[in-house]
Amino acid sequence: METDLLVKKAKQGDKDALVELIMLQKQEYYKLAYAFLNNKEDALDALEDMIVILYERIDRLRKVDAFYSWSKTILVNCCRGRLKRNKRIILYDSLAEETELKKNDFNQKEEHLMLDTALARLSDKQQEVIRLRYYLDLDYETISHLLKIPLGTVKSRLSTGLKKLKKFLGDEGYGKY
Amino acid sequence: MENIENMLKERKKTLDKVEVPEELGARLSRALNGKRALKRRNNSWKIKVATVCLAVLLVGYNLNTLAFYGKKLLGYDRVMNGTLKQLNELGKGQLIGKSHTFQNGVSVTLDGIMLDESQLLAFYTVHDPRGKVDSVNLQPLMQIDGLFGSYMMEGGQGEMNEENTEIKWIMGFEPPFFLERTLHFKFGLIDSNILEEGVISFKLDRTKAMERTLKKTIDQTFELEQTKIKFESILASPTRTVIYGSIQNILELARDQLSGERLRTNHLTVRLVANNNEVISHQGGSISTDIRGITFEQSFDALPVDLQALHITLESISVERDVNEKVDLNRDETKREIEILGQEVEINGVYESNDSTLITITTDESTVLTKVYLMIDGNKVELQNTVTNNREKLPNGPIRHTRTLHFPGKGEELTLHIERINFTEFHNITFEVPVN
Repeated sequence: METDLLVKKAKQGDKDALVELIMLQKQEYYKLAYAFLNNKEDALDALEDMIVILYERIDRLRKVDAFYSWSKTILVNCCRGRLKRNKRIILYDSLAEETELKKNDFNQKEEHLMLDTALARLSDKQQEVIRLRYYLDLDYETISHLLKIPLGTVKSRLSTGLKKLKKFLGDEGYGKY
Repeated sequence: MENIENMLKERKKTLDKVEVPEELGARLSRALNGKRALKRRNNSWKIKVATVCLAVLLVGYNLNTLAFYGKKLLGYDRVMNGTLKQLNELGKGQLIGKSHTFQNGVSVTLDGIMLDESQLLAFYTVHDPRGKVDSVNLQPLMQIDGLFGSYMMEGGQGEMNEENTEIKWIMGFEPPFFLERTLHFKFGLIDSNILEEGVISFKLDRTKAMERTLKKTIDQTFELEQTKIKFESILASPTRTVIYGSIQNILELARDQLSGERLRTNHLTVRLVANNNEVISHQGGSISTDIRGITFEQSFDALPVDLQALHITLESISVERDVNEKVDLNRDETKREIEILGQEVEINGVYESNDSTLITITTDESTVLTKVYLMIDGNKVELQNTVTNNREKLPNGPIRHTRTLHFPGKGEELTLHIERINFTEFHNITFEVPVN
């Protein structure tokens, strides 16, 4: 009920209401952006991109209860845009972030680095499905909704992506990294 | 494959530990700073635009007496209201179809005009091929120049398309002098801090203008409790009805100004009823003070075609008056009533708190002491703020408003000095306008 009211206020141009709507689910928004971009600054930038677009377009949102799915789709698009712009930085940044998180676990860090490197070699489309499925625990249907692709496509991208990952990590071996 | 999935799940665990940065909320708010929402079909935006346009708030964008030309304007269906739409369907507008293109590719096209005795209505399109029409910075004040003078913009509204390439506007201007023939629609665009001006010239054809439906001198004056109000005339056209009147002529205004008892009128509620029961909807109004004194205009929708009777009701008038009321207060004041120009002001109590003096008063909801000071031991102290608010609805109708006036400073001798008071007088005076 509270969200409905906030969405209505936001539709009237109330900026605070819009910020509050996002803050109510800040964990979900931030993790979604982070899963794509893998570092704090880019995730925050993507969220900023998103809120500006939301503000400019919210009066076109017809169903009040669709706010969250609509805004998250916009966030995904903002993340995609950022990814395209700074593709190279991702790997480096993720390494830096992880060093802080896992200072004592060198092996695990190495494994993550490998995984991230392998993941980065997949196509963007395969990557995003894998990130949403495994990092955010989203079900197929939600992913299909979020990315605006059919359910079958979600499944096929996921399976091809996983196969490729296995190939990269298995065939080329750990030694290479 | 299972191994990969496990790796991914491990990776997720580290991601789960990522915390939302504290600055997120602040950054989101900052990102919105200075952003302006563009609303389509949203009243609040229309009103905003109209307010920005000019002090004269003419919410109604309907203009009357249209010249009859036989072709209709296309694309304005959503900005026009019912009456205007019907007139357009009948082809009652003058098509112009001239454009001006600025260096950055943005163009302004004057599609057509409608004209009558009280206003000139311009229908124009702002087009931006880059798809950023919402950020096109057209100068907010437009004007139409003629041989005999300039006619300023009064208010209007527009609607943007989904692609963000086009806004269709309907804008009202002052009516051109009756001898004007060629007019110049002038506007400016600001791009990278450079102002570029554009002009579209067009010829006015008045020969086939539609006649007004009713023009009557009313000449009804009412002596109210504290104010005198005069209804002067009414002008009705196929799309709009305007009532003109005055509250003070220039001599009365000057006299009051000199005697320090000046009157300012803030609001006027007038109702127009046709054929004894058809309430004509109110579109807007304005009150202005100039060389003619204090005058007002109230505009309404068009009158019905089969007009038998017409009644005007003055419901209320809100005025602000200069007064010079000094009230000596005791610090242990409990309850006291004073009357200023017939308005009751209850003083409920005087208190001291920290280094301030607090005075609690109760009045009618519409009564406000708009200029008030507290003399503390001979020193004039300005009101700092009004601290608390409480509204209580009395069983017989009126709402009483209790609040505390906060004056910084305290002392022995206190005098409340009221220099200006605003209040609403309710009247419900109805009179008939002969229609035959």
